[in-house]
Amino acid sequence: MNLFNNSTNQLLHSALNASMTRQNTISNNIANVDTPSYKAKKTVFSHELKSAMNKPDFDAHRTDSRHLSFREAGSSGVEIQKRTNTAYNHNGNNVDIDLEMTEMAKNQIYYNTLIDRMNGRFNSIQTVIGQGR
Amino acid sequence: MFNGINTSASALTSQRLRMDVVSSNMANADSTRGRLVDGEWQPYRRKMVVMEPNNTFKNHLDRARNEKAGSGVKVSRIVEDQTPFKQVFQPEHPDADDAGFVQLPNVDPLKEVVDMMSATRSYEANVTALDAHKNMLLKALEIGR
Repeated sequence: MNLFNNSTNQLLHSALNASMTRQNTISNNIANVDTPSYKAKKTVFSHELKSAMNKPDFDAHRTDSRHLSFREAGSSGVEIQKRTNTAYNHNGNNVDIDLEMTEMAKNQIYYNTLIDRMNGRFNSIQTVIGQGR
Repeated sequence: MFNGINTSASALTSQRLRMDVVSSNMANADSTRGRLVDGEWQPYRRKMVVMEPNNTFKNHLDRARNEKAGSGVKVSRIVEDQTPFKQVFQPEHPDADDAGFVQLPNVDPLKEVVDMMSATRSYEANVTALDAHKNMLLKALEIGR
């Protein structure tokens, strides 16, 4: 039995990291709300992308192992993309402040939920260690 | 760990600078002696802030590796508005030309107010983002409590 390194904890761990990365991305978008030609970014879970990325027509090969790999997802299982499907502002900036603020609110709740679940797991372990007392 | 907070902080600094520039423009809306050019006084020119994403080589590399969210914003320079000065007929003014016209700064109070509102709102949005990030970090400290 693996008390701490089980899949649920690892999943929570990577989800927390992803949530933090998302928060950083949103902060950066809000910071650049008045920057000309800035394109908003979004953080997505790379699991969702994996299937699309693994299609054969998406293939590229490295000629040297020291080159940066072509489809390297972030170490925490998340990927940062540019938002390109939205209308541009007159100065080329496409940060939608309403969208960013709602995304941030969602991310907050999500993060707090994850922390809550993490605490729940540790509390269960603590209960077991304390022999149910 | 404090990346997001630094990002928001850079934005707060930039927006505050924008506010300072607006203040300067408003304060000098009637300054006829902004700069001495060839022994002649030129009125104050409206100033504008140019912002750009905070891009270092590290950022570019990180972006290529698809790992970092970016690190905020910076003010690259302050430029002067090149629109023509306002002409007002005021022969008794010490800076009037031979025809009696005085050149006044190209500051449009309306533009400045709009700019000021924009800076205020952006500042507030960034404070909210900073606050959110701070709460997340504090929440993370509660793990295992």
